[in-house]
Amino acid sequence: MIRFDNVGLRYGSGPEILRDVTFHVLPGSFHFLTGPSGAGKTSLLRLLFMSLRPSRGLIFVFGENTADLPASGRAALRRRIGIVFQDFRLLDHLTTWENVALPLRVMGKKESDYADDVTDLLHWVGLGSRIHAYPEVLSGGEKQRAAIARAVIGRPEMLLADEPTGNVDPAIGNRLLRLFVELNRLGTSVIIATHDYALMDQLDAPRLMLYEGQLQVSGP
Amino acid sequence: MTVLNDIRDYPWTSLFAGILPARLAAKLPRQFQAQSTPIVPPASIAGNALTVVIAIMTFLACLTAGGVYMVNQSANAWVDDIASEITIELDPLDAADIEKKITLVSLFLAKQKGITRVKPLSADDSAKLLEPWLGSTAALSALPVPRLIAVEIDRSSPPDIDLIRNALNQNFEGVTLDDHRRWQSEIKLITRSTALGGIAVLGLVAAATIAVIVSATRSAMASNRTIIEVLHFVGANERFISSEFERHFLGLGVRAGLAGAVAAAVAFMLLPFMMYLLGGGVVTEAETRRLLGSGELDLGGYLLLVAIVFVVAALCMITSRFGVFRVLKSHA
Repeated sequence: MIRFDNVGLRYGSGPEILRDVTFHVLPGSFHFLTGPSGAGKTSLLRLLFMSLRPSRGLIFVFGENTADLPASGRAALRRRIGIVFQDFRLLDHLTTWENVALPLRVMGKKESDYADDVTDLLHWVGLGSRIHAYPEVLSGGEKQRAAIARAVIGRPEMLLADEPTGNVDPAIGNRLLRLFVELNRLGTSVIIATHDYALMDQLDAPRLMLYEGQLQVSGP
Repeated sequence: MTVLNDIRDYPWTSLFAGILPARLAAKLPRQFQAQSTPIVPPASIAGNALTVVIAIMTFLACLTAGGVYMVNQSANAWVDDIASEITIELDPLDAADIEKKITLVSLFLAKQKGITRVKPLSADDSAKLLEPWLGSTAALSALPVPRLIAVEIDRSSPPDIDLIRNALNQNFEGVTLDDHRRWQSEIKLITRSTALGGIAVLGLVAAATIAVIVSATRSAMASNRTIIEVLHFVGANERFISSEFERHFLGLGVRAGLAGAVAAAVAFMLLPFMMYLLGGGVVTEAETRRLLGSGELDLGGYLLLVAIVFVVAALCMITSRFGVFRVLKSHA
């Protein structure tokens, strides 16, 4: 599904942040991406999401070499990936419902075709009473769940989450983890970037560990 | 073709909502309301200043196009008038027999094919034609004023002018035929010059409009950078992102274009009264009418203003589209 071959990344003429990163993500798998702050977790996620180009090496996403892809090809692949940002990136002038429906609107689907799905998903993530609320009146946990709902509404084949529990209390963090596990059971590959070891200990999943720009895989 | 698709996909029924102020738009029937909240907020695209600038550009474009149209219509009417008439001029030196000569020439002309009416002008009529330059004076009768014969020709089967000219030269002495070709060519030259001047002004207005829209598109994209990033993250392609911007600019172009065109239409309606308002008298009005015909736009002229609204709206939309593509490419 995703393959990194000797990928290196540097910003401008600075030092290499990622060096010789090689790994393979299989369909339906669940991975944690971890490492100390500044180890390059977010940069690795951005490479996975094709919002950065590697300085060297090859990245294959859904079998496509991302170096050869035009902008339209990258957009098509991004529709198969859901991403949850640490800072949520919800659009303030849209309601929770409209924010969650955004990927389907971008796909060109008719509102009448997806209206019920969006409402059902919002109920499922516990935001049934906040459908018409704007992001500025949502709590951190609610924003996080709205961002996750937006990432999964298009039924992506892969879900990337950057510190999804970083802004919520442990109880909500555990609830969100259960949500990711449920999605994984439904067939979505999941990569969660986190440095929350308590969260990782709750699940027996492989860990992609970044340290000083290099990646090691541990666990089952 | 993608531009045509965008025009087809544009929510035209909600255009009224985009044109009217928000308070009035909220009172429109449901089918005329916007179907969903715009992804790019309209308020972040451009303020009233841009709308006013585009409206002024449209106003200037409409005034120019309408003015050229009126001059063109007036010139066509002149050409039509003088093309249906020729003038025979008799040298006044042979004053003793001039009346007899006029009668003979008139009779000769009346027999020619393609001539519908022959009207000899009396000495007084000929002198009156000089009054605007020499005034009404008794001295006119002492001057050797050429005598004229006005000849109307059948436009549907016109005579062979050169044949008549040769025949007149052979049969009469001191008789010349003026078919007004020099006037016609000069009028056409003036009309063409006016049209070229108008096209140059329209070109400048279009260039200024494009520059303003490009600048507005860039600033709109800069202020909506977060939204563009999120759209990229949820898989939007360049076409989708550009359509979100160009939709606003199309609405803006229609609103501003309509305002400018309506203002220009009102100006054209007031034009006949303008001379009085500015203190002009009957003579001023007559001279204006000579230049601009009736001084009013006909249906064709108003349709031209409507066409300008469409052109301005399309210009806004297409310019913003290419502006967005360019900025997205530079981001990539």
